[in-house]
Amino acid sequence: MRPLDESETTQVFEKLFKFTGNNLKNIVESPSHEGPDQTPGRYCFRLHKNRVYYVSESLVKRATNIKRENLVALGTNIGKFTKSGKFHLTIQALNLLAANTKHKVWLKPTSEMSFLYGNDVVKGGLGRITDNINAYDGVVVFSMTDVPLGFGIAAKSTQDCRKMDPNGLVVIRQADTGEYLRNQEDL
Amino acid sequence: MYATFSNARSNYMGRKKQKQKVAQPPELPPDVPDDEVEVSDEDLEFVNKNQDYAGFVSRLDTQSITRHVNRVADAKQNDRSADVKEDALESRYEKLLRKKSLATENVQHEVDAVDALPVKTLDGQVYYRSVSKGSNQSKNAHIEDETVGENEDVGRDNGVVKLTKAEKRVKQKKLRKEAKKQGKEVPEVEEVQQSSQAEVLAEVEEDLTVEEANAKKKYRLAEIGTSMLMDPEGNIKSLKEMLQICKDGDHDILILGLKSLLAVFKDIIPGNRIRLPTEKELAMVVSKDVKKTRFYESTLLTVYKAYLQKLMSLEKVFSFKRVAIRCICTLLEANPRFNFRDSLLKAVIKDISSPDDVTRKLCCNTIKSLFANEGKHGGEVTVEAVKLIASLVKDHDCHLHPDSVEVFLSLSFDEDLRKPEAAKQDTKKIKKKFYKTGRRNMEIASEKKKNKQETLSKTREEVKADYMAASLAQDFNEKRRIQSDTLSSIFETYFRILKHTLQSGSEANESVTGPFGEHPLLAPCLNGIGKFSHLIDMDYMADLMKYLRKLAGGSTDDKTPSDSFSSHLTVTERLRCCIVAFKVMRNNLDALNVDLQDFFIQLYNLILEYRSGRDQGEILAEALKIMLCDDRQHDMQRAAAFIKRLASFSLCFGAAESMAALVTLKHLLQKNVKCRDLLENDSGGGSLSGSIAKYQPYASDPNLSGAFATVLWELSILSKHYHPSVATMASGISNLANANNQVFLANVSPQQAFIDMSLDKEKFTVKTANKQSNSKRKRGNRPPLPLAAAGGADEVAVVDENVVRTKLSEHFSLVNEMEENERLRRELDRTTLALQLHREYKKQKKVKKQRTM
Repeated sequence: MRPLDESETTQVFEKLFKFTGNNLKNIVESPSHEGPDQTPGRYCFRLHKNRVYYVSESLVKRATNIKRENLVALGTNIGKFTKSGKFHLTIQALNLLAANTKHKVWLKPTSEMSFLYGNDVVKGGLGRITDNINAYDGVVVFSMTDVPLGFGIAAKSTQDCRKMDPNGLVVIRQADTGEYLRNQEDL
Repeated sequence: MYATFSNARSNYMGRKKQKQKVAQPPELPPDVPDDEVEVSDEDLEFVNKNQDYAGFVSRLDTQSITRHVNRVADAKQNDRSADVKEDALESRYEKLLRKKSLATENVQHEVDAVDALPVKTLDGQVYYRSVSKGSNQSKNAHIEDETVGENEDVGRDNGVVKLTKAEKRVKQKKLRKEAKKQGKEVPEVEEVQQSSQAEVLAEVEEDLTVEEANAKKKYRLAEIGTSMLMDPEGNIKSLKEMLQICKDGDHDILILGLKSLLAVFKDIIPGNRIRLPTEKELAMVVSKDVKKTRFYESTLLTVYKAYLQKLMSLEKVFSFKRVAIRCICTLLEANPRFNFRDSLLKAVIKDISSPDDVTRKLCCNTIKSLFANEGKHGGEVTVEAVKLIASLVKDHDCHLHPDSVEVFLSLSFDEDLRKPEAAKQDTKKIKKKFYKTGRRNMEIASEKKKNKQETLSKTREEVKADYMAASLAQDFNEKRRIQSDTLSSIFETYFRILKHTLQSGSEANESVTGPFGEHPLLAPCLNGIGKFSHLIDMDYMADLMKYLRKLAGGSTDDKTPSDSFSSHLTVTERLRCCIVAFKVMRNNLDALNVDLQDFFIQLYNLILEYRSGRDQGEILAEALKIMLCDDRQHDMQRAAAFIKRLASFSLCFGAAESMAALVTLKHLLQKNVKCRDLLENDSGGGSLSGSIAKYQPYASDPNLSGAFATVLWELSILSKHYHPSVATMASGISNLANANNQVFLANVSPQQAFIDMSLDKEKFTVKTANKQSNSKRKRGNRPPLPLAAAGGADEVAVVDENVVRTKLSEHFSLVNEMEENERLRRELDRTTLALQLHREYKKQKKVKKQRTM
């Protein structure tokens, strides 16, 4: 377990910024109420076995007591660095993203299932979409009852979505909650 | 107005009816109606009595008259044959009327010497006719007295009393018809009239003082005006004289002259444009009729032009400005099709944002009526006016009076600018289908039948084409072109205003505050966009939304939190931006359900910035309705945040605002079942506390405020609100949680609630004051609880202020008294102590003395 180095930090923050915009500040600065300390600490990012964790400072202190080989995970896993050194967000980051995202897409109940099986979002399945999304922004996908289902990348801007036919891609899937069943061994 | 003049006419008639026979040209046998003959007997008697007036009869050239009458009859017959369809009865009635008026005029001219002008006969000689002066003059004065009063009235009233369009048209038609028919007969009579009058004028003028001359001129104006209205074509020359009077008269005369000329023009100007004949046409040999009309038209046009020039020059003089503008406006409104309308329109639009209220109102109303009655001019004037306004806005850099753009609101467009084409295609398809199905049957049907059908359809089409050509209905394409032109200039203006507002905002603090405030045109511009939003091209929509978002205070690029220029706009204007954005969205973009998050954030923050005195509560209520009540779905987090904020908001404002807020709140709670957790009184607040564990009241983003971590404690305070309906509303809402998912749809909108409450606000303040003063005694000097809670915010609504003031003053006076009391007691203590000390000192002294002794 170690803090991220400079290039890793920029990579992680760039990814997160795509989704949250200015709210990235909230992720970094939000106080943690974990542990017995009276003054709330902060959250920080830690790298452990190529995975990036979002952990409160008090937990980090306590985790130092455990041997590196024995430590399986700590805090919230938000993504991993691939063998080629790129950073990928994983589905566990959904909670963090959903709370702070700028761009949202709501799915019709009929197309929820399709998305949870790992498919992209087409316009026909779109229930609602936030205004002012640009192409390739990060988007969090919700059900109509405001349950976060996954996230992805916007294929078109909101303006262009209007003119599209119902089969056009709106969101390219990156992760969905269906993965908890499909890829249990990877997570 | 017409009525007054016709009254005047009937007056004349009543007086001189008896003389009809004298000047009447001999009738042609078939045209004489029976009743006409009956009257003539009495007339003869009258003529015999007044021989001296009828002297000219003996000198009449009977031959020429008969010739003349024959010609007239011919012309009439021609006329007749043209208007075969015309109702026989009607035509006879008209002719009768015409004859009568003609007769009266004849008589009048003969008697009224002043009326007469020198006359040029066909062979070029000028005749003057002298009539004994004295008797005539007295009569003149008498007549003029009457007419002048009426004419003045007309001049003054023409702004107020207006005939309906239909009436005007009918009247104009009648006048024209009369004029055409009479054209021939009148000039002869005029010869007499004119010749005598010139002489009289010449003689009298020398003796008159200036005042009398002025009075004279007034009479003259009235007189010409009356005669013009009775017979425009005959008296067209006297228009020039009227104009002359206007030019050399003093202030009053000038105004009177302008007004009476206006009245005359308004009535005699035809509904179409006059085209002056080309040289080629002038060279051609034409009948006398045509010549006469041409002369009439050209005179009318030249005088009209001179009149307009006069008006334009006077418009720059301050003292005449209003009169001139009023004349210009009335002329434009009455005859939008006539010549020189461009210059009229320019003059009107130039003054559309004048600082003078009267002038501006006049101009705006004129433009509005032009927009509203497009049928009158076929829409061309609309396009011109809109373009002119657009360029005006451009030239003045958007610093104009709001009225000048507000006129756009009275424009109307066809909803189905594109539809008819589609309909046409549909009919084609249907036809094709018809043919196809027909063909199937055709096998059985004979060839003959087919031919018959074809010819039938062919003739049908021909008839249809003829009908289209004949009917006055505007060509559809033409209309569409006009409307799209208008639309494009309107939106050009609107976008220009938006852009200008943005730029002036970003060029920090370069306050170019004109006489109309900082962004005078923004409000009408936003209203206009809201109204015409369904006509905006989809391609502009993105830009429009971007501008609106910037104006509302949010920014597209996330780096600058955009308070740089949002502070330039008032809360009301920013709320308006939000409303307009929602309207635009709803009108156009129903196909895709877009969530306008940025505008919600703006509204969320604007609620805090609202001040009840400064900003318009109606706008806030409207925003609440459109953005929160009408929108179908909400984020749960966002809804909760809004609920919480509205609750806190309703604590610190007057009854009307808090009622509107509560209505919205109830609506939100009803729609979002999960948000009712806020009503649970658990220590941790709502069970769904989400990622943010603590409520942050100052968060600017509703999604990040963590409203689920709190409870709606405001409601229990509100249920003790001084206004009973707010209190019942609040307690009703707090019981909503127990209503086990039963949804009562609120049928009152926030706007409605706001208006209702602000209406009975005044009524209510008295009552509350009484109540409070009663309860004061019971409670003693305990400060009122709800107000103390709201006291954190320094803006207590106006209603409460008096109550608070009395309470506070009472409280503080009591405190003062207590302090005073304490001080006095302290003083008392001190003095008693001093006394005691003194006594002791004395005692010791005594003891000392005794010792020493």
